[in-house]
Amino acid sequence: MRRCVTHKLIIKLIMTSRGDDWSSNLQGVLLDISGVLYDSGEGDGTPIAGSIDAVKRLKSSGLKVRFCTNESQCTRQYLVDKLRRLGFDINLNEVFSPAPAACQLVRERKLHPYLLVHPDAVPDFSEFDLELTPDCVVIGDAAVSFTYERLNAAFRVLIGQENPVLISMGKGRYYKETDGLMMDVGCFMAALEYAAGCKAEVVGKPAKGFFLGAVKDMGIQPQHAVMIGDDLVNDIGGAQSCGIKGVQVRTGKFRPSDESHPTVKPDGFVDNLAQAVDFLLKDHAQ
Amino acid sequence: MMAVRAVLRAVLIDLSGTLHIEDTIVPGAVAALARLRSAPVKIKFVTNTTKESVSTLHQRLQKLGFDIGVGEIFSSLTAARNVVIEGALRPMLLLQEDAMRDFEGISIDSPNSVVVGLSPDNFNYATLNSAFRLVLDGAKLIAIHKARYFKRLDGLALGPGPFVEALEYASGTKASVVGKPEKTFFLEALRSLGCSPQDAVMIGDDARDDVHGAMAAGLQGILVKTGKYRHGDEDRIQPGATAVCRDFPEAVEHILSKML
Repeated sequence: MRRCVTHKLIIKLIMTSRGDDWSSNLQGVLLDISGVLYDSGEGDGTPIAGSIDAVKRLKSSGLKVRFCTNESQCTRQYLVDKLRRLGFDINLNEVFSPAPAACQLVRERKLHPYLLVHPDAVPDFSEFDLELTPDCVVIGDAAVSFTYERLNAAFRVLIGQENPVLISMGKGRYYKETDGLMMDVGCFMAALEYAAGCKAEVVGKPAKGFFLGAVKDMGIQPQHAVMIGDDLVNDIGGAQSCGIKGVQVRTGKFRPSDESHPTVKPDGFVDNLAQAVDFLLKDHAQ
Repeated sequence: MMAVRAVLRAVLIDLSGTLHIEDTIVPGAVAALARLRSAPVKIKFVTNTTKESVSTLHQRLQKLGFDIGVGEIFSSLTAARNVVIEGALRPMLLLQEDAMRDFEGISIDSPNSVVVGLSPDNFNYATLNSAFRLVLDGAKLIAIHKARYFKRLDGLALGPGPFVEALEYASGTKASVVGKPEKTFFLEALRSLGCSPQDAVMIGDDARDDVHGAMAAGLQGILVKTGKYRHGDEDRIQPGATAVCRDFPEAVEHILSKML
């Protein structure tokens, strides 16, 4: 019990030691999904304790809520359906994911994509004719579909272009599933960049446009928003780079070394989403 | 003051692209090697293979007609094995079956290191993920080399380099690379001959990995225009090669007439 109290005091200290009392001016909250709401894995995965209720409390508080995810293993609709089955109050129009941004880039440039994505995510790209000879690569979290031959096929598309276009849906290093840490899309993006001597264009977190799009959708200013996530660099660092506050949860892929990262310093650390919501709502009510 | 000219005591020779190209001998290479052996220099054959064990390489060279002893071959797999033994490491080996033979007798139970060579059979999500978890928990990551791609019968194919990159990116660590063009590779090869870099020359067809790498380690370097050599390669390295020769026989001629 005593440990718990001390813990809370420390969090409070971090949250207010940055000069401005931002949490009482809060108007909107951006939530990461994997590692914050639930851990993916067998079946639909497992909700993180307290998170279902925390989302409910946030939504009934009057604060605006959007979900910012780099999830690219399935379509947005599939993800929403899965989270609803787990008990979360979440709707399709509240979810921001990288696939629409990737589609927009490909469409604008009139390119034909090679999709190095999870089979369940392919329907998000139904507007493109995949029978045409590809001239760019869209990479997502393909997981077990990251095979040598598919990576090779993507590499050949890139090496065959004068100016290779590689669009990466996020650039995360790893994420947590129920049975352990898993390599994320960023690793295979880095592999293709190295092989083809090119630089990927990242859509989704930590691209500024991604966060700003979600904030704009809430009709508020970045300084009145907070991002809650488990990925120090992509969630917290990305949000902070466009003036949004960032709070890291100690769930999902969180590792103790995150608390002494050389460059990214969150505006607060909390044990989990439930605890974050406790603090935000307390300050918001004041 | 005049620089003291070192006496040439050792010659390091690349294999593929320099002595042979696949199953074809570079014309005159067998006789040139015999000529070089009559000179007072020690010889070591150095190669960046990640898929063939030393004994398989040896058999292939013998079949082609080269007079080479198995103990004269120093490969990037040998270098990796040495690193593993010196560090008392228990490696998870991402290697093809034949390359595994160079690691016979080494314990691979509860691994505390990961060795990556060209191993398409192991470059799948499940195996890479196991390797990633080990490295994140502190296992040493050892790359046989970091080649980006190689030529397969049906076109270009990914080398071990991109997969080493993926593991580096995932774990936030840097791999130790043991093959050419790493300085330690050339020094290890020379150590087995008891020679210093300033007494040695490297002959190879790869301007960057053979010639530039060797010269950065303090050896002299001769570039041959066979194998993967492309027009203008000699201009892409700084400092330039000690000599640029048409092929291996001309390189031997250069050594015998100008370097001894």
